Amino acid sequence: MRASPEIGWVEVHSENYFGEGGLDRHVLERVRADLPVSLHGVGLGLGSVEGFSEPHVAKLKALAAWIEPAFVSEHLCWGSAFGQHFNDLLPLPYSEASLALVCGRVLRLQEALGLRILIENVSAYVTFPESVIPEGAFIAELASRTGCGVLLDVNNLYVNQKNHGIDALAQMNALPRGCVEEIHLAGHLADEDCLIDTHGDRVADPVWQLYEAALARFGPVPSLIEWDTDIPPLDVLLAEAGKARHCMEAPNAVAA
Amino acid sequence: MQSLLESQRQFGAALVDPAIAAIMPRGFAVYVANVRGNWTRALAAAYPIVRKIVGEGFFEGLALEFARVHVSMSGDLNEFGARLPDFLAAYQETRDLPYLADVATMEWLAHCAYYAANPAPFDPARFAAIDPAEYSRLPVTRAPGSALYGSQWPLLRIWTVHQEGYAGEMSVDLRPGNDRFLIHRPKWRVELAPLAPGDYRFLAEAGHGAALGDALHAATREDPDFDPTSALARWVALGVVTL
Repeated sequence: MRASPEIGWVEVHSENYFGEGGLDRHVLERVRADLPVSLHGVGLGLGSVEGFSEPHVAKLKALAAWIEPAFVSEHLCWGSAFGQHFNDLLPLPYSEASLALVCGRVLRLQEALGLRILIENVSAYVTFPESVIPEGAFIAELASRTGCGVLLDVNNLYVNQKNHGIDALAQMNALPRGCVEEIHLAGHLADEDCLIDTHGDRVADPVWQLYEAALARFGPVPSLIEWDTDIPPLDVLLAEAGKARHCMEAPNAVAA
Repeated sequence: MQSLLESQRQFGAALVDPAIAAIMPRGFAVYVANVRGNWTRALAAAYPIVRKIVGEGFFEGLALEFARVHVSMSGDLNEFGARLPDFLAAYQETRDLPYLADVATMEWLAHCAYYAANPAPFDPARFAAIDPAEYSRLPVTRAPGSALYGSQWPLLRIWTVHQEGYAGEMSVDLRPGNDRFLIHRPKWRVELAPLAPGDYRFLAEAGHGAALGDALHAATREDPDFDPTSALARWVALGVVTL
């Protein structure tokens, strides 16, 4: 791959590179020669009460030491119980108990990696009676207690607004200005019951509006369009990326 | 109010038990679909030939039954599916495909070879410092992720006709024989190489770090056609063994 000014960085799912060798790692190494690489974890399950895996942390640590990533990010979710893994980003109640657990895990991970990590907000399709802290306040408190950064997924906030009636803009405004280091945008699917974060379509108009508000609040932070199911022709994807760049270059997108 | 632990255990139990899922709130079905889809896709990636043989629709049912019996234990989905060969050996629904478990064994070994560490390059300069009389005592080792496998079923043929881009004749003669082969990754692509008995023995010895001289002797005893010099040159050149 040749370096291109159009590509800011390359972001990969960390677990896809847990193997010790082979083609995928070779390609990532070649990419890394020209571009920054970020590691985006989907399997650690920081909020799992049971089954948080130190071997998983060790593999991530070895991968990060090798590729020297721009960022390491993980999701605000859990993924295992009673000895079994569910291999999905499962939702946490936003409670003091969850906050205490996740803060401990984030501190542990940052200590192991020797890096400040980013935590991404997720879409949720159910809510919990134990959720007593608003999502934005929960993440702000997590960032404040651990020093971690935030990977703000604007589509996930919008999905939660539509599914659960939260105020996405208010959640965003609850985050301190300096803590958002990266933004994710994606398309979603409207099911009969709810919106589903599928990463399989163009970014929806209301999500673009939230994105503009995010840029106004957090400045022109690096932004990524996630599109990993039903991947479209490259020109469609580039048009979406161009749209994000256009938003960022608009006059309101300055660090305040 | 439920503790976080109780809440996660109940959520998890509902993900794998439709009777419990039925009493969960509406949006919960999205998680059930995600989890099933993630497991099925992971197995399909590791077992493309098994999937082609049984068909996509049947494979999905098989994958979900497998995931119920041999639950996922890792947040890394590339580790999911190691026990599919055992599962298939006992699975009643595919008992008319008696070779399927061996195909699965072959595919899991290939999956592991794909992600294995790159072999250390053979360094001839190292030998300048070693007395040639000592060569035979050096341990010979096999590339990480390389594996030997033998089956009564024609796995090499099954592998070949299911490779991407294969456009030849598809028939497979299923009469029991004795397929013995090496699974390895010469550069980035996993390949299978049929082995004569001497090479099989030599590479088996290399698999547990035998001394070079012992490994070559064992192979020669087993197979009078085994030529130590050319075999060693061949396997070193392919990066399968190193000293």
